[in-house]
Amino acid sequence: MRDVYVAGIGITTFTRLEYPLSEIASYASMMALKDAGVTEVDQVYVANMGSPRVNHQTALASAVVDSLSLMPAGAAAIENGPASGASAIKAGFQAVASGMEDVVLVAGVERMREVNNLEATDFVATLTHPLAEYIYGVTLPAHAAMFTRMYMDRYGVTERHLAMVGVKNQNAALNNVWAHLQQEITLEGILDSPEAMTNNPYVAEPLRFFDACPVSDGGAALVLVSEEKARELGRPMIRITGVGQATDTHAVFEREDPTDLLAVRKAAKDAFAMAGLSPSDVDVAELHDAFTILEIVESEEVGFFPKGEGHIALEKGETALGGSIPINVGGGLKGRGHPVGATGVAQAWEIVTQLRGDGEARQVEGARIGFTCNFGGFGNNVVCLTFVRED
Amino acid sequence: MAREIYAYKCRLCGTLHYPFRMVCKECKQNDFFEFDTVPLPKAGTLVTWTRVYNLPAQYEVATLGLGIVELENGMRMLGQLEISEPELGMAVIGNVEVVRKEPYDDYYGMVFRAA
Ligand SMILES: [Zn+2]
Repeated sequence: MRDVYVAGIGITTFTRLEYPLSEIASYASMMALKDAGVTEVDQVYVANMGSPRVNHQTALASAVVDSLSLMPAGAAAIENGPASGASAIKAGFQAVASGMEDVVLVAGVERMREVNNLEATDFVATLTHPLAEYIYGVTLPAHAAMFTRMYMDRYGVTERHLAMVGVKNQNAALNNVWAHLQQEITLEGILDSPEAMTNNPYVAEPLRFFDACPVSDGGAALVLVSEEKARELGRPMIRITGVGQATDTHAVFEREDPTDLLAVRKAAKDAFAMAGLSPSDVDVAELHDAFTILEIVESEEVGFFPKGEGHIALEKGETALGGSIPINVGGGLKGRGHPVGATGVAQAWEIVTQLRGDGEARQVEGARIGFTCNFGGFGNNVVCLTFVRED
Repeated sequence: MAREIYAYKCRLCGTLHYPFRMVCKECKQNDFFEFDTVPLPKAGTLVTWTRVYNLPAQYEVATLGLGIVELENGMRMLGQLEISEPELGMAVIGNVEVVRKEPYDDYYGMVFRAA
């Protein structure tokens, strides 16, 4: 297997974007291609979850390759729910590692604000089990809420811990000009003050409005290349050293212990094993905090903290910038936004930014090893990646 | 006759599945139609629950109760709740009712109430 490097990165602002879907993907891609210094690629993968349903557009990769004048490169869209982004990175990794391609463009994109919030929520809910979950009106917030209640009961996680993740990540987004939310929040405002229940109402008890990521449009892109190509291009040598992916039962209730996220555990374990790393080696991590509870639980399942102790590490500031393992320093999904198909690619974008030392106010000093966890379904399809700066 | 929701019992190893899958997760048997249907029990205890405020457009109610129930045979399922003050571990009893209305279809599922 050949080594695979990230030679270029690009991103759009995550917000409501009034541009066609393929142009959002193309904008991020142009930045990545320019950053890498390439004008031709062998293969394009476009990660997206909702274009047929939300944007009435299919065969998205053909539109993107045309928009970027990359013909006759191979091109395909990859739909894998909220894990589409890292799944496309995995496909690109495999293409380069196998020796079949030398330069692969991976773009992730979503434009969900084209429909109203209820339709966007329903669109994401279509990833649930059609007969055993979806027909009951289950949404992703509902799944996260039921999961949270079990976690609170079992491990002593409280609404305050959830709010602490929300405050940490939303305020971290203030250091990231590309992030969707640019408004500072406080525990006082969303939890403790008399107005908190108005500012921060329940969306699915015990989860409140500020426990969920916003609905965003946006795109992100990477250029993956072989080692020979990477040396020729002369960009910082950032290698994807570990790739892990795992699945779990479609219906959440069917899991032996529904408070375990076994696919997260296995995907992370496999990524670390492939990289020859352990969780304690990681300098900076991006975890999939679509809901605040997920950052806490993923921080345990990937191996940063023992099971049931993620919220204690959070209390101690271990997961904040300056802590032992800074998580989501660019805002995470909570602050940056969650254009579903773009998220896995945006996580990689943040890690490469960090490993290049370009994080400015949110830079983790001396970061050389990064980790991403892109969480699909409600934990039924998860991709973890490790990144190492070599030069 | 009362409506039922069914579990699927593997004819080779006896493992019960809900929801339906094509291949048994225990013995991985790969013959077609090797499942018998068995009605799911209606009685159980509440494992977790939520009250949802932002509902998909089909639901013309202010909030929707949802929960995971451990049935008396040890299997779990998700259902809607008609319970004003749900509590973890409480005894519940299910009934099969319309849980989602679409323009041309009514979908039936389990609705749980306090036992
Ligand atoms: Zn069997």
